[in-house]
Amino acid sequence: MKLAILMPAHNEGARLLRTLEVVRERSTELGGVSVFLVDDGSDPRVILEDLPSPTADFSIVFARHAINLGQGAALETARQLALREPEFAAYVTMDSDGQHGVDGAKHIAERIAAGADVAFGNRFVAGSNVPSGRKLLLRGARLFERALTGLSLSDAHNGLRGFSRRALSGIRIRHDRMAHATEITQCVSRSPNWVVAEVPVCVEYNRETLAKGQNAAGALTVLGDLLSHYFFQDRA
Amino acid sequence: MNLASIALLALVFGLVLFDLLTFSGRNRRALLLEIVVFLGGAFFVAFPIRATALAHLVGIGRGVDFLIYPIVIWLTRESLLTRRRRLEDTERMTELTRALALATASRREVDQSIGR
Repeated sequence: MKLAILMPAHNEGARLLRTLEVVRERSTELGGVSVFLVDDGSDPRVILEDLPSPTADFSIVFARHAINLGQGAALETARQLALREPEFAAYVTMDSDGQHGVDGAKHIAERIAAGADVAFGNRFVAGSNVPSGRKLLLRGARLFERALTGLSLSDAHNGLRGFSRRALSGIRIRHDRMAHATEITQCVSRSPNWVVAEVPVCVEYNRETLAKGQNAAGALTVLGDLLSHYFFQDRA
Repeated sequence: MNLASIALLALVFGLVLFDLLTFSGRNRRALLLEIVVFLGGAFFVAFPIRATALAHLVGIGRGVDFLIYPIVIWLTRESLLTRRRRLEDTERMTELTRALALATASRREVDQSIGR
């Protein structure tokens, strides 16, 4: 099972290197991994030669945004990069800060290889140390997304998710920033033929990742972005 | 002319003077448009009776309402259009940045390291 990992990165520094190193160590067990890494205007910029060396089972395809656009934009660039390559058994989106474990990516990829078109990670059933404030925020986001999309997911805005090639080709991310997660859910809800699954994954929170993650103000920004796109964006 | 009118006129002419000095040579047409609009506003501030007469002519009670209604409508429209244009510009910027990133993407794998 050859796996594609779509990974946006912005100012992750050593965390990115550690994340890639862990993926590389497990790449043979995963059946081979290609990481589609997009540096979203990091300062200092990510240098390809500084990243973990390739092996027979591990390679990196790298692109760089000249300016910072946002995680959604970087993910869309990674998606387009991955679709230029021959088909992979599964396409998994994964954060570059070490929050997402390789085990979670593996379970998601297995679910896709078993026939699902989309597999959403669920961080609430696999021993993640989700802080209570974040739990409350995610519960509100889950209810909001359910009202918006009709999809009843256990976890909202989990960056660890997987797609078949068919599903990845059918999704186009137009929200540059964090609202892309809701956009993906909306797209899935409009595709009744896709097989959708939820997979338990472990998300590890620490002080660094919490400082970078979403908060209540971020949730308002997501809401503002969604409204702005709803009213002002062409549906092309 | 009351104190409020004098303060408003001072603000209008102060802004025009400031823009005249800071724009110096750039955006002459925008500056000219600003001066014409501001002088129109200053006229109605100095002679509010004229604004009231115009308002009565079209069935509005107060001269200030006659001026404010269309201004609010115009500003609302301008605000919405500006938001839309900003979103379009952002989309163009994203597409451009992405096209550049995709065109210069490179790969690192065993036995080869090629630029595409």
